[in-house]
Amino acid sequence: MSEPLAADTDTDTETTATGSENNSDPPRSPEQLVLAHLGLARQAAGHFTNRGEAYDDLVQVASLALVKAAERFDVERGVQFSTFAITCIVGELKRHFRDRAWAVRAPRRLQELYLELGATIDRLSQELGRAPTVPELAKALTVTEGAVLEALEAGRAYRTSSLDEPDEEGQAMVEQLGSTDVEFDHVEDRSVLSMALSQMPPRDRLVLGMRFVEGLTQSEIGARLGLSQMQISRLLASSVERLRSSITEGPPTAEGNVP
Amino acid sequence: MSAQEHQSFDPVRGERIELSFPATVDLVVVARFTAATMAARAGFGIDDLEDLRLAVDELCISLGPLTGDRTLRLVFERSDDAVDIVASFVTPPEATTIDSLPDHAIWQQGRELSARLLDSLVDEHGGEIRDGQRCTWLRKQRSGTRS
Repeated sequence: MSEPLAADTDTDTETTATGSENNSDPPRSPEQLVLAHLGLARQAAGHFTNRGEAYDDLVQVASLALVKAAERFDVERGVQFSTFAITCIVGELKRHFRDRAWAVRAPRRLQELYLELGATIDRLSQELGRAPTVPELAKALTVTEGAVLEALEAGRAYRTSSLDEPDEEGQAMVEQLGSTDVEFDHVEDRSVLSMALSQMPPRDRLVLGMRFVEGLTQSEIGARLGLSQMQISRLLASSVERLRSSITEGPPTAEGNVP
Repeated sequence: MSAQEHQSFDPVRGERIELSFPATVDLVVVARFTAATMAARAGFGIDDLEDLRLAVDELCISLGPLTGDRTLRLVFERSDDAVDIVASFVTPPEATTIDSLPDHAIWQQGRELSARLLDSLVDEHGGEIRDGQRCTWLRKQRSGTRS
């Protein structure tokens, strides 16, 4: 995560059992706590965007965690509810990424390392002005180079983020990127690649065209689309599979593609 | 660069790994991981490394159907700034051949696709017959070291 979440986003009087400033207020009901802290749940969900999950799904996960937190909150402990709730919400969001965003179950340490790796690649790319090497990533993450390579491979099992899914304003990312679509008509080579590309869904066509027609690197594509290099890596791998399926097998299937 | 030139590999300056495993799509992960490890040791940036991982898929797929009835043999060689990979089948007489595939034309389209993708992913690639077996090969250099 880029910066810590603020627990005190609720501007209403905070709920504690023994706090000297607020104990004149009676403890609120779980329903009141949930309603008063929905903004906190949305803020926490927003902190986990750009990791391949739809914002609405993350808000749902965070909101359910908020409900659980309100039910479990013990006013006798003297802890502010927002502090208790944010711990519960962030924990639930992390579990969501570990458990549900993976098409194939990867070891927990690899799942967590993979999520950290994406942010580290983007940070080092900015700092270095080039794509970082594996030793540089290993040093930054204080893990072995082998662990970095394992995490990269494990990323193939991570669900592809969808440029077709609507954002929080209901607009699919691919619609916002219409002006960046690749000019296939200008491609001299009318081979099977350009023919197949023209028949692909917009999302795949966009990313494949940028990489294989325009010749952009994964980092450059990520920068142009506002996505991480690792998201582009996953998108490319899955799009190439679909491209191959469209040529050799008709409609894409889960079988027969390189995992 | 050709598959024949791999005979003159210098073991002092680089490293060489040979892998043989059943030719199934599930096991291509082994080849990807080996290639990525070599790329990391050659100082590849993450963009080049990811390109090589995709290229390994295409190299294996373009060789022939990964139907599990043959053994896939891969030779990886790393020099200071490049990774070379040669893929071939160890084919028993009864195994499927490309020419006998019912959808040979479609398969050729798939192979052409692999060739076009490899054009973008690696510096050099090709295919040839060696010792009576078809092999495909690629060479990926670290960015900034291409002549």
